[in-house]
Amino acid sequence: MASVANSDQVVDFVRAARADKSPFEIVSGGTRRSVGRPLGDMPVLDVSALNGIISYEPGELILTAAPATPLAQINAVLAEKNQRLGFDPADWSRLLGSNGVATLAGAVSCDASGSGRLRHGPARDSLLGFQGVNGLGLSFRAGGKVVKNVTGFDLPKLVCGAHGTLTVLTEMTFRVFPKPQFAVILCLPDVTPEIGFAHLRKIARSSLEPAGLAYLPGNLLADVGQGAALIKLEGAAEPLEEKVALAHGLLGNAMHRLDDGLGLFDRIGNGEVFTDIPGDVWRVMIPQSDAPRIARELNATHWLGDLAGGLLWLAAPPSDAARIRSLAASVQGQAMLLRASAQSRAAHGLFAPQPPALAALNRAVKAAFDPLSLFNPGRL
Amino acid sequence: MLLPPTDSSIVARRADIVAGLRAIVPDGVVADASGLSTFDADALSAYHQTPLVCVLPSTREQVSDILKFASAEGVPIVPRGSGTSLSGGALPREDGILIGLGRMKRILEIDYENGCVVVEPGVTNLNITKAVEAQGFYYAPDPSSQVACSIGGNVAENSGGLHCLKYGLTTNNLLGVTFVLPGGEIVTLGGKAGAQGGLDLLGLITGSEGLLGIVVEVVVKILRKPPVTRTLMASFPTVISAGECVAAIIADGVVPAAMEFMDRRAAEAIEDYNQPGYPRGAEGILIIDADGVEADVSHAVSRITTIVAACGGQTVEATDEKQRARIWSGRKAAFAAMGRLAPDMICMDGSIPRHALPQVMAEMEVLSQQYGLGFCNVFHAGDGNLHPLIIFDMMKEGEFERAEAFGADILRLCVKVGGVLSGEHGIGVEKRDLMTDQFATEDLEQQHRIKCAFDSAGLFNPGKVFPTLSACVEQGHIHVHGAQLPHPHLPRF
Repeated sequence: MASVANSDQVVDFVRAARADKSPFEIVSGGTRRSVGRPLGDMPVLDVSALNGIISYEPGELILTAAPATPLAQINAVLAEKNQRLGFDPADWSRLLGSNGVATLAGAVSCDASGSGRLRHGPARDSLLGFQGVNGLGLSFRAGGKVVKNVTGFDLPKLVCGAHGTLTVLTEMTFRVFPKPQFAVILCLPDVTPEIGFAHLRKIARSSLEPAGLAYLPGNLLADVGQGAALIKLEGAAEPLEEKVALAHGLLGNAMHRLDDGLGLFDRIGNGEVFTDIPGDVWRVMIPQSDAPRIARELNATHWLGDLAGGLLWLAAPPSDAARIRSLAASVQGQAMLLRASAQSRAAHGLFAPQPPALAALNRAVKAAFDPLSLFNPGRL
Repeated sequence: MLLPPTDSSIVARRADIVAGLRAIVPDGVVADASGLSTFDADALSAYHQTPLVCVLPSTREQVSDILKFASAEGVPIVPRGSGTSLSGGALPREDGILIGLGRMKRILEIDYENGCVVVEPGVTNLNITKAVEAQGFYYAPDPSSQVACSIGGNVAENSGGLHCLKYGLTTNNLLGVTFVLPGGEIVTLGGKAGAQGGLDLLGLITGSEGLLGIVVEVVVKILRKPPVTRTLMASFPTVISAGECVAAIIADGVVPAAMEFMDRRAAEAIEDYNQPGYPRGAEGILIIDADGVEADVSHAVSRITTIVAACGGQTVEATDEKQRARIWSGRKAAFAAMGRLAPDMICMDGSIPRHALPQVMAEMEVLSQQYGLGFCNVFHAGDGNLHPLIIFDMMKEGEFERAEAFGADILRLCVKVGGVLSGEHGIGVEKRDLMTDQFATEDLEQQHRIKCAFDSAGLFNPGKVFPTLSACVEQGHIHVHGAQLPHPHLPRF
C-alpha cells in the first residue's frame, strides 16, 4: 500500500505504475471496495490523506474539497451555514459491512445518491469541476468553479459513476444549496404496490417538489399493513404546512405524519434496510410507472421502491441474477448488483453487459483517460 | 477567426458527394447556390460560409447512412439544428456536409405517468412545452431563442435560459438520447429510467457542440407548472448594492426561479425601446421571479423584499399577469433595444463568481474606454452568467475587430476572477482561441483525447471548440500537436 498526500505524489505514483505497467486499486475511505467486479490481488493507492475542505463560499453556493473528505465532515460544515451538498450522497458502509469512512470521492465515483435524488438529482448534477491525474501521469483540470459553465467537454459528468476507472481525483468542486428548515414524512398505510406507487407518481408529477417518495412493503416497516407510501416534503414552516395540506388534497386524508420518520429516508437511501437481510442486494433503475409490475415479477421477499418507483431495491439469492437483469432490460432499465459475494460479482459484474457499439465506446473513453488500464481495472 | 484549411480535393469531388447523398436522401439534398445561402451562417452572423452541400435527413437510418458515407469518403460533417447558435457551432465548411436536422421534428411520445417526452432532435424547445401545457406541464430550460431553437441543438450546446438558477441546464433535464456515432453506429444512452449502466456518456455528449456525433432522439423530463409565480423588480443606486443584494438573497436560502440584472445603460435603452416601466436613474435593476406553491412564493417574496430594502434598493411587484409580462418583455428585448443604439452588436457570455461582479463591472468600463466602444450589461445574476453586449458599426473600418478584441478581453477578465469563458452559449468558433486562457495544455489534451475516442478521423465539426490543429493517432489516442502537421495558409472567414 502506498499513501499520497498531494497531487504531485499522485503524479509520481501513477508514472511509476505506468512505467511498470502495474495496475492498482484506488482507495479513499474504503467503504465501497466491495462494489463492482473484484479487482483481485493488486497494489493499493491510499488517497485518504487527500482530505479536507479547500474552500467554501456560502454566498457563491460553491464548495471545493479534497476527494477523501468524509461526507460527515462536509455535511457538518455546510449545515453551519444552513446549506447542503447539491446531491444527496448515500453512505453504503452499513449495508456493505464496512468500517471505513464514507467520503466525497467514494460517493461520487459510485454514483451513490439516496432518496433525495428524486429532487436534487444524482452526483453528476452538482459536481462542477475537478482536478485529477490521468493514466498518463498528467495532472489536469476539468469543469470550473462557477455554477454555470459550458466551456469544453463536461468531464465532471464522466467521473460520476466511473468507479475510479478514469482518473485519480485530487480536488472536487460542488454546487451546494440552501438547506430547507423543516421536513415532514407523510405515511399512507396499508396500500398495495399498485395503489402506493400510483399515489407516489401523483405527488411526483405535482408542484410539491417532494424530497422523497418511497413504497415500503409491510415486512420492512411496522404497523403499515400490506405496505406504505411514504412522502417526504421540505420547506420553511408555513410553506411546508401548505404542501402537507396540498398532499392531503391530492391523496385524501388517510395519511398520517410519521413521528420518528426523519431518519427513515436515510435508511432507505443508504440501503440500511437490507443490512441484516441475507442474499445479494440489487438496485434496479426502471421507469417509475413499471414499478408495480416489475416488483411483482421480481417476486422478492424483501424489496422496496424509492424515487417514486424509479428505483427498486431488493435482496435475492445469487441464482436470480439473470432473471433480475432480464426484467430490468425489458423496460430499458439497469440492474446494479450492489452487495454480493466476490464470486457473484465476478460472474455478473456491476451492470449487465452493454450492446457492442456502446461497450466499444465505453472502452474508448476509458482509454482516453487511462490507456494502460491502470485504475481499478475491470471494476466497472 | 481562422478555420482549418479547405480540402480542395473534397471540393473537387462535390458532384459525386452530392450524388452519393441523393442516393441516401433523394428529396433532401440542397446543392444549388440560392438554397445553400439559407444555411451559410448561424446566429453568430458575422461569419458566413457556404457549405459544400446540405442534406436534410428525415430518419435516424438516413443520418446513420450519411455518416457512413461521409466517413468512407473522408468528408467533414457539420451538424445543424435550427441555426440559432450564438457561438458559430453550426458554421458550415466549404469542404463539409451540413446535416440539418430540421425535418426530424416529430414528438414521438408524451408520457405523463413518467414525466417525460420523447422527441426527434428538430422539435423546437417551445414546442415541447406547447405539447404538454394543456395538462399543466412544461419543459424547464428556456433559452431566449426557444421559439426557434431545436432540442437537438439544446443538447449539443447544453443550453440554459432564464430559469436555470432553479431548474438547471439542458443536461439536468435530460433522461436519454439516441445518438449516431461518426462511423454511423447508433447507440442509446439512458432512457425513461435515466440509467446508463456504464460511463455517463449522456453527460459527456450534452454540450459537446457537435464534435462527437449526432443526436437523433431525445428523452426530456417535464415538470408540473408551478401554481404561483410572482415577479419583483428592484432598483438600486449602485451596481455594488445590486450585486450585494444578489449574494444576500442567495445566502438567505431563497432560490428564485430567475434573477436577472441589468445596468443603467441597458435598462434605459430598453425603456426607450418598449417602455416596460424600468425606473430611470437606477444604476442596477434586478428582475426576480419566485415560483412554487402559494406559501413558498409568499415566503420568498417577503424575504426578497426585506433584503432588497436592507441593500438600499426599492422593490416593485407586478400586480397582475399583464404587468409581469411587461416587465419581462423588457429584459427579453434587450438585444433589440441595444440594436437601436448602433447597427451591430455582439453578445458575450462569460460566467463569474458572483462576488467578482463589482470588480468585473469596473474593469469593463476601463476596457470600454480603451477600445472606444459602448456596451451594456445584462446578467443572469443568480448564477453569475454575464452577457455584456458590445455595440459597434461593422461598416466602420476596424470596429468589428475592436469589438471582438474587447469581447475577448472581457472573457479573459472572467477567467482571471475565477470564472469561465462560457456560461451557456458554447465555445464554437467564437471563443475557440481563448480556450488556452482558461485551460492548460494538459486539460485540453485530455478533452481532445476524448474527441479522438469518438471521432478518430477528426471529421466532426472540425475547427470548433479546440484551438489547435491536431490529429488523433490510433494507438493509445496520443495527441499530436498541429505544429507537426502541414500548416498551409489559413483562410479568413
